[in-house]
Amino acid sequence: MSVLAPARARGVRGWMRGKNLAPYLFVLPNMLIFAVFTIWPAFNGFNLSFYDSSNGRTYRPVGTGNYTNILSDSQFWGVVQHTVLFTLGFVVLSTVLGTALALMLNSQRRGRGALSAAYFLPVLISPVVVGIIWKAALDRTTGLVNQVLSAIGLGSPGWLVDSSLSLISVILVGTWIHLGFYAMILISGLQSIDTSLYEAARMDGAGVWQSVRLITLPLLRPTLMVVIILATIAGFQAFDFVYTLTGGGPVGATTLIIQYIYENAFSYPIQYGLASAAAVILFVVVFAVTFVNYAIGRRSESI
Amino acid sequence: MSTQAPAPTARRSGSANPQQPKWTSTGGRAPSTGAVVRTALLIAGAILVVTPVLWAAMSSFKTQAELAQTPPTLWPNHPTTDNYTSGLQAFDFVHFLTNSVIVTASATVLTLIINSMAAYALSKYNFRGRTVLFLITLSTIMIPLQVILLPVYQVIASFGMVNSLWGLIIPPAATPTGVFLLRQYMLTLPDEMIEAARIDGAGEFKIFLRIILPLSRPALAVVAIFSVIWRWNDFLWPLIVAQDESVQTLPVAIARFASQQAIPFNQILAVSVVTILPIIVIFLILQRHIIAGLAQGSIK
Repeated sequence: MSVLAPARARGVRGWMRGKNLAPYLFVLPNMLIFAVFTIWPAFNGFNLSFYDSSNGRTYRPVGTGNYTNILSDSQFWGVVQHTVLFTLGFVVLSTVLGTALALMLNSQRRGRGALSAAYFLPVLISPVVVGIIWKAALDRTTGLVNQVLSAIGLGSPGWLVDSSLSLISVILVGTWIHLGFYAMILISGLQSIDTSLYEAARMDGAGVWQSVRLITLPLLRPTLMVVIILATIAGFQAFDFVYTLTGGGPVGATTLIIQYIYENAFSYPIQYGLASAAAVILFVVVFAVTFVNYAIGRRSESI
Repeated sequence: MSTQAPAPTARRSGSANPQQPKWTSTGGRAPSTGAVVRTALLIAGAILVVTPVLWAAMSSFKTQAELAQTPPTLWPNHPTTDNYTSGLQAFDFVHFLTNSVIVTASATVLTLIINSMAAYALSKYNFRGRTVLFLITLSTIMIPLQVILLPVYQVIASFGMVNSLWGLIIPPAATPTGVFLLRQYMLTLPDEMIEAARIDGAGEFKIFLRIILPLSRPALAVVAIFSVIWRWNDFLWPLIVAQDESVQTLPVAIARFASQQAIPFNQILAVSVVTILPIIVIFLILQRHIIAGLAQGSIK
């Protein structure tokens, strides 16, 4: 274990009395599962990325071959591009719309409960089912969206079959799923703001916009940071609703990184090396992005 | 949706969530323009959010011909339950529901037990390695199952847990988020009670069981809600572990069902509606707790 010396309330003498053994026994079950199903596989996954296998039984060491392979794989670069674009669009939309929704819901008195429930509904539906519902709603001819659009003379775009539109559709559906959840988090942040600040601002003759800009948004910053980090992690790991919405198509236009890892690891032709290298790269990127977000959040708080 | 300035939230009577039957807190004055615009926007947005779900639900009662009609019908002209009867013949709903319920319930119970034990140790004991163990717990938030699914699958395979419900239940059970939330809550419980119970000669586990757990009920409820939503909706991990139909959960089974070309789409919609009903009913019953819990848990 560690060499960190915590403040020990009792001396080392009572070390083996039940009281001192108790915390280890309490922590044990959770730590055991972490060790076996998270920590060990994570290290093992890093190790695996220097081997290749086509059947999962025999491995040959390839050094950094998996990494050179993946970096020269044109499909991988397409996947990286879609994943980054998706995450960017999803984070921006979720944060902006989520903040607007939180501000409005938070000052709404009448029907607040019913409205919150409506916005929260998508959070409850299995993402797989969300994909099915939107696949129906965005169908080029029979879908609700195009039937409304063509009724008002806006034509019928191929939301899911046109490769220039499909990623946008996936971003919109992803945002639709998470919007209510992020708005709830932001509302809890809004409610921790001292209302006397608004009173004071009003006394000084500040308008509504000025209150929002000068009081609400700066004080909401830590919560916004939490939402941005959560949305970034969710964006990089989107898979389930895309699976039933587009299946990664058309022609791979909406294949995101998790799907790439899954397909290389579990469907033919199996390429364990590529899957392992992609997983390591994904982890490093998510870790770096989260760290940068966190650092920016910390620094701006001290200003 | 556009950003609209909210009406000032001044004149709040101090409480965070005032229950007011009237439009305004100023005694029946007409609502301001800002409030009207805001309400209109909120309602429009809510309609945008809910309509696709309602439309899909309505479409599951339509015939193939009516589904393709222009202009679209929101309410089915000739409602039929054929999609449900034939859909549920082709899709063994009860079987997959049973698997989903078993996995969700067992995983949630397991999560609550092991997370609360760990949280208690990390919040109420001074022991060597506490900081390190807590940091390890936090760092695992960064390593979701999705990213390391191949090496985790190999561990599961070596335990012979592929195609068993245990393989779905155990790996995701030690949620770092749950430990974190419960620890935050337990830190606020007074130490004096624990000391007093020790003086009375209560054993460590008895203190945890009789004093700590009952007091932590609000936090346990939040973790339980999170866990139920996560496990109920889990897809990628079950997709890999449950290759056999006998152990598939609803999301996996539905995804496979939806990918069959031969099945008419309104039948797929009918089956989808049946799967979302249980969770929506549970939500409506527990709505207050869930919203409060999410707000509480996410921010600390």
